[in-house]
Amino acid sequence: MSSEPEALVSKIQVFEPHKASLPAMGPYIREFWRRRRFAFELARFTDKAEHLNSPLGSVWLVLNPLLLALIYFMLVTIIGGRGSAGSSRFDVLAHILVGLFTWYFAQNCMTFGGASVTAGGKLILNQAFPRALLPLSSLIGAFQKFMPTLPVYLIIYLVGGALDSKSRLPGLNWHLLWVPVMVALVAISGFGLALLFATMNVYFRDTSKLMTYGARMWLYLSPVLWMPDMIHGWHRILIWANPLGPILAITNTVWIKGENPSWTLWLGATGWAFGLLFIGGYFFVSRERDFAVRI
Amino acid sequence: MTLRYASNAEMPEGLAVRIEELSLRYKINVESKMTLKNAIMRAGRGEKRRVRTIEAVKNLSLDIPHGTVMGVVGANGAGKSTLMRAIAGILPPTEGRIIVNGKVSTLLALGVGFNGTLSGRDNIILGGLAAGLEREELEERFDDIASFADLPNGFIDMPMRTYSAGMYGRLAFSVAVNMTPDILLIDEALSTGDAAFKEKSFEKMRQLCLEARTIIIVSHALGTLNELCDKALWMHQGNALAFGDATKVTEKYLEFLNVGKVPSALEDF
Ligand SMILES: Nc1ncnc2c1ncn2[C@@H]1O[C@H](COP(=O)(O)OP(=O)(O)OP(=O)(O)O)[C@@H](O)[C@H]1O
Ligand SMILES: [Mg+2]
Repeated sequence: MSSEPEALVSKIQVFEPHKASLPAMGPYIREFWRRRRFAFELARFTDKAEHLNSPLGSVWLVLNPLLLALIYFMLVTIIGGRGSAGSSRFDVLAHILVGLFTWYFAQNCMTFGGASVTAGGKLILNQAFPRALLPLSSLIGAFQKFMPTLPVYLIIYLVGGALDSKSRLPGLNWHLLWVPVMVALVAISGFGLALLFATMNVYFRDTSKLMTYGARMWLYLSPVLWMPDMIHGWHRILIWANPLGPILAITNTVWIKGENPSWTLWLGATGWAFGLLFIGGYFFVSRERDFAVRI
Repeated sequence: MTLRYASNAEMPEGLAVRIEELSLRYKINVESKMTLKNAIMRAGRGEKRRVRTIEAVKNLSLDIPHGTVMGVVGANGAGKSTLMRAIAGILPPTEGRIIVNGKVSTLLALGVGFNGTLSGRDNIILGGLAAGLEREELEERFDDIASFADLPNGFIDMPMRTYSAGMYGRLAFSVAVNMTPDILLIDEALSTGDAAFKEKSFEKMRQLCLEARTIIIVSHALGTLNELCDKALWMHQGNALAFGDATKVTEKYLEFLNVGKVPSALEDF
């Protein structure tokens, strides 16, 4: 059959009850890849629609985590008192800020991705296409919102580090070359989370509402408002059992400590990222044929 | 998606759609809302999920040759839209199977315009990309689509929530017929256009038939169906009651509507 021209073969389609829990993944992924343009355009148009509703939207996207970081910073310094001896206040702020920016990338994947299928109702009812394109589009949207925060952070990081004499931030260093890899790992984790919550939302419509509380809790349990080095012994389970724990610890190591992250951290972050992708992907793709009936 | 690409051998030459013993069932939650909270409360009370099964299509077999214009009639809830969605590959069959030879373009309950804040133009592009068309291809066809829909001045770039129902329908129809589908599925879309647009869409459909394309139309306007279709299918509570010559089937259906009883002699068309 492989010798036949593609167009001839793909013209005949057979729709059958699904016995297997997953559809044939070869054709699925091929169709998914072929229509990836749709996901990009959907992200672009969704962004456009948001801008029509509030022109200042993109400014808020950067400002929101920035202001939140300031609030958290004040809280942390008030509760923490003088802080650990010798450590600069600005370093704490820089840690919270980069953690929050990274966190918001993942959280946006969860929130937008979670709503992507239920929001695409009409499209799902009237068009046959690989449904995973909808959460993919949310990932692209979240990524486009994350990217502008990186240069903003870099400026704050460099200027603040230079101005604060007590700061021990490493400044520009070779370890920052890891940043693209770190972003990729967050993106993979985010896609997995988007797939997972999109499916959940189809079955339980209150998922997104519960998720806002869940995400808040998750944030407090993650090494964003506290330093990963502050916990020791079995407490470090907080980092390893947290799907975003290792990657956030890596973020801290690279930006704040200016060191090479340990291979165990890389292993943990990669493991969680692909674990989430496979779990979310399985959950989503095995259920997506029911979406049209349930929306 | 239940896509499986098969070799041509499974399908007799000249058939556009083959439906084999197709059954489709919906499982409906009897509860008010599907929420996690309800599910947990129910589990706490030790109750089971209450579901009702609805057989929307029952054991339907049908061969539709290329170039057929088939009308589908039936009372509300007969399963017409469900059948169309199954042919489009949107709803997977519960039993049986459907073989489709060709590119399907759907106009099911107005497919485009799923995002009201975006303009008609953006919706066309998104819908087309989802359908698997290339961006360049879409841009080429865009003028055809826009000029066929012939919306009032400038409306193509207005948000779709500002459209009237008729304008909505015109655009949706225009998109579907201009995708050069091999098989065109239309579900109640002709009812919203005005007289001039109706005439234009008939013309377009006749032209598509001449190109040996297959069209399946669901409509409650029997006059329209008689005019356009050469075959018709009458569905009743998920069963196919009659299939054959359009005028004959619609006549029987009309008779049923007046009498209100299913003629038993029709059970095995
Ligand atoms: N999404 C759904 N979930 C559950 N049940 C459904 C769903 N859609 C349709 N049904 C049920 O399936 C049956 C057939 O519905 P369908 O929409 O196919 O009817 P129809 O022939 O198109 O009716 P109409 O003329 O009103 O458009 C109905 O009993 C309906 O209640
Ligand atoms: Mg219907």
